This record gives sequence, C-alpha cells and structure tokens, in this order.
Amino acid sequence: MRLIQIIRLRLRSLFSRNSAEQELAEELTYHLEREIQNNIEAGMTPEQARYAARRAMGALEQSKEQCRDSRQTNWLHDLLQDLAYSARTLCKTPGFTLIATLVLALAIGANTAVFTVVNAVLLRPLPYPQPDRLFLLSSVPKILNFDPGPIMVDRDYLEFRRHNHSFESLAMVSVGAREITLTRHGEPAILKASQVDSDFLHVLRTYPVLGHTFLPETRSALLSNALWKTRFNADPNIPGKTIYLDGTLCTIAGVMPAAFTFQQADVWISEKIRLNAQNVFFRPVIGRLKPGVTPQQAQAELATFTAALPPNQEFDPHGYTTRLLPLKDLFVASLRKLLLIFSGAVAFVFLIACANFANLLLIRGATRQPELAVRAALGASRWRLIRQLTTESTLLSLLGAAFGILLSFLGVRALIALLPPGTEVHTDIRVLFFAIGLALVTGLIFGLAPALQATRRELREGVTEGGRNVLVRRERLRGALVIAEIALALILLAGAGLLVKSFLQLRAVNPGFRAANLTVATVDLPKARYQTAAQMQQFDAQVLSALSSLPGVQSSAAVSFLPFGYGVMGRFQPDTGITVDKPAISPGYFRTMGIRIITGRAFTDHDDAAAIISESLARHLWPNGEAVGKRIFMDDRWLTIVGIAADVRQTGLTDKASAIIYQPYLQINQPGFLDHISFVVQSNTPAAASLRSIIRRLDSDLPVQSITTMDSIVAASLSDTRSQTRLLAIFSILALLLAAIGIYGVLAFSVAQRTHEIGIRMALGADTPDILWMVLGRTLALTGTGLLIGLPGALALTRILKKFLFEVTPADPLTYSAVISILITVALLAACIPARRAARVHPATALHYD
Amino acid sequence: MSKPTDLVQGTLHLLILKTIALQPMHGWAIAQRIHQISGEILQVGQSALYPALHKLEQNGWITAEWAISENNRRAKYYTLTKAGRKALQHELTQWERLSGAISLVVKAI
Repeated sequence: MRLIQIIRLRLRSLFSRNSAEQELAEELTYHLEREIQNNIEAGMTPEQARYAARRAMGALEQSKEQCRDSRQTNWLHDLLQDLAYSARTLCKTPGFTLIATLVLALAIGANTAVFTVVNAVLLRPLPYPQPDRLFLLSSVPKILNFDPGPIMVDRDYLEFRRHNHSFESLAMVSVGAREITLTRHGEPAILKASQVDSDFLHVLRTYPVLGHTFLPETRSALLSNALWKTRFNADPNIPGKTIYLDGTLCTIAGVMPAAFTFQQADVWISEKIRLNAQNVFFRPVIGRLKPGVTPQQAQAELATFTAALPPNQEFDPHGYTTRLLPLKDLFVASLRKLLLIFSGAVAFVFLIACANFANLLLIRGATRQPELAVRAALGASRWRLIRQLTTESTLLSLLGAAFGILLSFLGVRALIALLPPGTEVHTDIRVLFFAIGLALVTGLIFGLAPALQATRRELREGVTEGGRNVLVRRERLRGALVIAEIALALILLAGAGLLVKSFLQLRAVNPGFRAANLTVATVDLPKARYQTAAQMQQFDAQVLSALSSLPGVQSSAAVSFLPFGYGVMGRFQPDTGITVDKPAISPGYFRTMGIRIITGRAFTDHDDAAAIISESLARHLWPNGEAVGKRIFMDDRWLTIVGIAADVRQTGLTDKASAIIYQPYLQINQPGFLDHISFVVQSNTPAAASLRSIIRRLDSDLPVQSITTMDSIVAASLSDTRSQTRLLAIFSILALLLAAIGIYGVLAFSVAQRTHEIGIRMALGADTPDILWMVLGRTLALTGTGLLIGLPGALALTRILKKFLFEVTPADPLTYSAVISILITVALLAACIPARRAARVHPATALHYD
Repeated sequence: MSKPTDLVQGTLHLLILKTIALQPMHGWAIAQRIHQISGEILQVGQSALYPALHKLEQNGWITAEWAISENNRRAKYYTLTKAGRKALQHELTQWERLSGAISLVVKAI
C-alpha cells in the first residue's frame, strides 16, 4: 500500500511536474493569504498585513526549491535539466566548446589507440581453452653468453617430459614461424611454417576441423584455414594428400580452425627430435598444467629436475636458470616494453590535456561568476551549482571521447605498423569502456575542482563586484596547472628527442657497402633437387652468366650471406674465440656492392683455397698489418689470405661491424653453405623483372623468396626504429601543442582580467616594452618553473629508453638543450598574442573597462 | 527571513505527525495549531514546514488531498497513513527516551 503510494508520488513528481509545481505554488499562496487574513484580523491595514506576511514567510522561491529537493526524484529531473542547460550554454560559446573538445579528443584518441593495441596484444587472453593453465618452460644453460629467450635444451626437454608430474602435456615449438617453400603444386610459393612436436595440439586443446592430428611416424602437416581456402580451394578431401615442403614429401594430416593462428603460421609441421651427437638444439617448450598444480609447484619441479641432471659436456657445469612464464610471453615479450613506453607517453599526454581542460573550465567559471551568483541568490544550493558545472564538464568530456574514439581508429593504424605482421587488433567493448571511463574521470574529477572554485561562498556574495582578491588565488592555481603541463611536456619531448637523435645517428651509419642501384633476389635451393655443392654452383654460374649479358647491368654477383640477411657463421683456426660470418661469394661481389678492397686483391674465377678477411679481423689477428699471404684453417682446409676488405655491418646498422671471412663460392664443397643464395645486380634501370624471369627460366619450380632493392632492405631494417620515433614524436608534439594552448589560455585571460590595471600603469607612464615584459616575464617564470620540475623527472624516466637508443646516452646534453629551447620558444610564441593585446591597451578605454 | 525552528529536524516531523494524528489539516492550520498548543512558544515558519510536509509525503507517512477549507478556498489537506501512525509511535518512544534522559541529566546537576 505504502509502496504503491510512494511510487505513485515519485512518478507524479517526475512526469506530471507541471501540475506538481502548480500545486506547490497554490499551497504556498494559500498559506500567504491566511497569514495576511490573520494580520488583518489582528488590526493591520491590508497593505501592512501583506508586507508583514511576506516578511514572515521569507523567500518563497528558496522554500519552493527546498520542497522540490525533498521530493527525491528531483535528481533525475535535475540531470535532464542540467544536460539541456549545459548543451545550450556550450552552444552559446562555440569557441570554448571547440577547443575543450579538441583537447580532450586528441588526448582520449591517443590513449584509446594505444589501449586498443595493449588490449589486443597484452591483455586479451590467448584463444585456447583455459589459457591460464598454459605456460612456457625455460631452463637456460648458464654457459650461454647471450640470452636465447625462454628455451629448453632438446635432451633436457625429452628427459623432463618423461618424468614430470606437473604438466598433463608438453610440446616443443619453433622460436617463430620460418619461411619454407611449397613446390610442385601450381606456382611455387613461400609459406610460413612452425615446427612442433606430437603433443602440440593436446597442449593447446585445439583440434583440426578437417582430418586429424599429426600422423605418427610420418612427416605430416596441418594447414591453416586461410591457406586451405586460398591455395587448396577448400578441398574437403585434402587430408591424406601429399605436398612438397622445401622439396621434401609431406602428408597433410588436417586443416585447423580459422581462429587458430599460432605464430601466424600457414602450416604446422610435425618434427621428431633426434638425439645424437650433433643435437645441441634448444627451443621453446610449452606445457599445460595438470588440474590442481600451481605454477609455483611446477617451477619448483623444473628447478629440482635441472639441478639433478647429470653433467654434460656442452651445457654443464654452470647449471641452469629455470623459469616458468605465461605462454603469452612467447608472442609478446619483445613488444611489452615498447607498448608500456607508449602507454606511459600517452598517459602524459592525457594528464597534460586534463590540466588544460581544468584550466579552461577555471577560466570559464570565472567569466560566469555573475550568472552563478544570480542562481545562488535564487536559491540554488552550492551542491546544486556544482552538479550543474560538473554535468557541463562531463558532457564536454563525453563529446571529446566521441571524437577521440574516431581519432583512435587512425591511431591504431599507425600503431599496427609497429607490431609483428599478422598481429590481429580488434576494437572490442573494453576499448569503448576505456574511452568512456577516461572521459568520465576527466569530466568529473577535473571538472570538480573548477566547479568547487567557481562556487566559493565569497564569490557568490559578490553579484556585482566579482571578488577580485579571490581571482588572484585562482590565477595561482591556473599557473600551477600550466607549470605541470610544461614539466610533463618536457619529459615527453626529451624522450622523443633522444629517439630522434638516435634515429638520425643510425641513419648516418656507413654500412660499409653502397646500397644505391642494387637489386637483390634471394632463393633457397631445395635439398631434394640440389644435393651437391656442384649442382648449386652450376645453377649459380648459369644465373650469373645470364645476368652479365643483360643490357643496363653494370655488375652482378652471388653471395650466400647478404648483409642484413643471414647465413653460415662459425669458428676458424687459430682459435681466438671469435665467431666469424662466412659468406661464399662470386668474384664480382666487392665491385657490385661497392665494398673497398684495402690491400691485396679480390677473388678471380680461378682461386682455390683462398680467403679475404675483413679489416677489423685482420687488425685483430695481425696488428702489424701483414695479413695478406698468411694462412688460416677453416672447414677442414688451409686457406691463404689474398686480400683485406673494408668492414661491413653484416647483421644490421645497430650492430658492430662483423668479423668476416669471405671465400670464393666455387671452392666450397659443403652444400649447407650454398643452399641459401642471393643474386645482387648493379644497374641504372630496374632489374627486378629480368632477374625474376632468368631464375624462372633456369628452374621453374624454384620460388624466388624476395626481389627487392638493397635500399629498401636497409630502410626496412630501420623501419621499426622509424615508426617508434615517429610515434613518440607525434605524442610529444601533441603534448607541446596542448601545453601551448594552456599557456595561451592562462595569459590571455590574465591580460583580459588586468586590462584595468594595465591601463593605470600606462596612464602612469609605463611604455609598451614594460607591458610586453610583464606578460613575457610571467611566461618565462611559468615555463622556467615547469622546466626545473620536469628536468629530474625527464632524466629519471628517459633511462627506460636506453634499450632503444643507439649511441646516445639518456642524459644527452645536446638533446636536452634542444628540447628546452623548443619548449621556451613555443611558450613565448603562445604568449605573443596576449602580450601584444596587453601592449595595445589604450589607457582611456581601459579605465572605462568593467 | 524566518529561521527554521531550533528544534532538531526529526522533532518537527514528530510535531507534524502528532498534530495531524487527530484530523486531516492543511499546512497553515498545522503551523497555527503547533503555535497555539505550545503556548505560543514554537513558531514553525513555512520555510521549514512545507519541505518537511513534502518529505513526510514522500516517505509515505502522510497523504495529501485537496479539499475546501473553512474559509471556502481550495487547500491541501494532509492525513496520517497507517505507516505514518507507526512512525509516529516510533518517534514518540524515541522522544520520550531522549527527553527523559536529558531531564535526568539536567536535574542531577
């Protein structure tokens, strides 16, 4: 009964508001009339009676508001009213609305874009059943002098798999998908293949949609759904058929579901681990924990197991470092730090934008003082005014979020360039929540402080006067916000500046060869058809002879280990502990690549048992410079050094010049040295098409891995660094822009507020430079304070960039001075307009101002 | 401006509930009745009275309906509900406990 009545009343005050209002007015009028009547009966004149009654009743509007408040549905009505009112006032000040929305849209957009990627790459669980039970096992022999990532030695893995109690299944996988050729099935193609062992699918608990799991005792393959559709026309009878992978026969076991993208491979091949004397492999191992076993218990078991392993020649006696990592680390470990740095950078942009937003609201609150004072006088409580103001700021921030989400789509595209190819990034509901959450935080928290300021009692009392002394305090708050913006902007700019400098330095590195006008085609000769070195050499010679007769070709060569590529590495005698790169080359290689021969000569067609060594290796082995004519022992034979070649950065611009021993390709007799070969052509005209047709003509089953230019190989090696640098630069420019808007806003407002004062100063004899200095001086004070506060933060935070910097220390003085100058210049530029406006104040107008 | 009575907020609720417990009344009459019965000591201004009445109505303790008043005008009459009667009982007990306690303290000193 009572409940029904309450509901009826609430509904009435919500929906039939007008009648409720009328009744309230009527009720109060009735009260007033009875008071008047009472007073008349007590002997007053009607006029006196009316006045006395009015006075006794007090402010009618205020009590009406209190009555409305006591009806509790009021807040919903108020909210709707506030929203409508906010929309109206925001429309009335399009300039403010536009800037505030823009500031927030940029910040929320950048943050949402980074979050989209972080969410997709780091936060989203792996698409396998019970992904939290999947782990990566690692027991790294301490004797290795580099970090191979989480791996297990084959022998240890097999031993552990046999004895362990923690995992229900374990599987070995390859470090990543590698390229493999598919031949004798239409046009030859390069596929990405992941090599795994038998229990792979049981660990992931994901099974083929067609066919069955790996076949025992046969080399079998599982196709990705995409490959099955594109290359095999979705043939339902594919299981059991055979294909040639890298020239070797392989049976197709089945087709995986479309959602299965492990290592972004096209095909997963079963590999049987063979333990023999040559097996010193180590690879990642994945496992699924048994129900009820904790990761700690599993790691303890792994540690106990490795500690008890019998001594082994290669990997003992130094023991192992054991770890148990979430499976996700196999895919994202390298990205995590980069994404965290970006998250930090955009978080700074967001903070700057928030400070800016708060500043804009403070200024707006100050200009709206009279309006707020009138509303307070009409009975609006402070709480009510604060609610109105925060509704307005939240509306603004949601508007910003809406545009920000649109902007983030662009941002995500830029970020994807940084991710390994094939990484899928979807926008999901979490991203939406994230953007709206950011907006609400901004709107409520950063809107609340200005609202509190704007509704202070002292201010409300001065309907006409405006409360000048309070304005001073608020100016201080605005100044503090600007200082914070400058400090944050400095940290971001310093980070970006360091990356830019590092990138420029990297680009200026001389790789040791001349990349211009070089076209490169790389092929892998399949073992099935090229069994001996002689067969390979014959193929190479045919290609080289065809190339030499091409018009426009100045020079051409073959090489088994192209700079920035990969190839055979190893030791030689006298053993100095140095591992060298061992490219096999055709005689024209140095001329074609523009690598200088320092002493001695290049190879000829008739060299045998000859070698050319790189400059730094020669200096290391024979410091006195008599390397030519000396002999070294390598790959079972003595080689005579015939020349010394200039250093080449064989593995990339960031790495030091490698120690290299070149050999003529014709003297090599191990096929493993020659099966991966690149042909390099120096020409003024594009040579890609003729290169492709020559290789096609000589072996139609041989897929050309890639035909590209040396320039683009070099550029590609820089592309990650370039995108990282560009992205951080964009973020810091954003920060700079926002800080400039902040400085401009504060100064413009302060000049407007002080027009009167400036007029008096001018009337008393201050000239234009004095006034200009007044404004610019304040700018410099704010900027300087911001820089002083930001500098230690920048020095501390840029240290995390160390891994990404090339020959730049995180505290590089040059970068810091450049960044600081940029910030000061931008601050002064932002101050220019307000300063000029101040200088143009005319004393007479100014004194009439207000 | 008439200040709200110095009485505690809850006490005004008690006075209103008690006053209309006998018969339905409109706002002005409630104020008058409290004034009279208290020996012209308690003065309830409209700025306290009407918000309190609306609050009680929202709580479901009283209902309001429009009726013709003693001076032939339409006025809003407030009636105690069943829940209101219970609330009044509760408030009364509370009040007696409180005032008894206060007078104990006051007399003891």
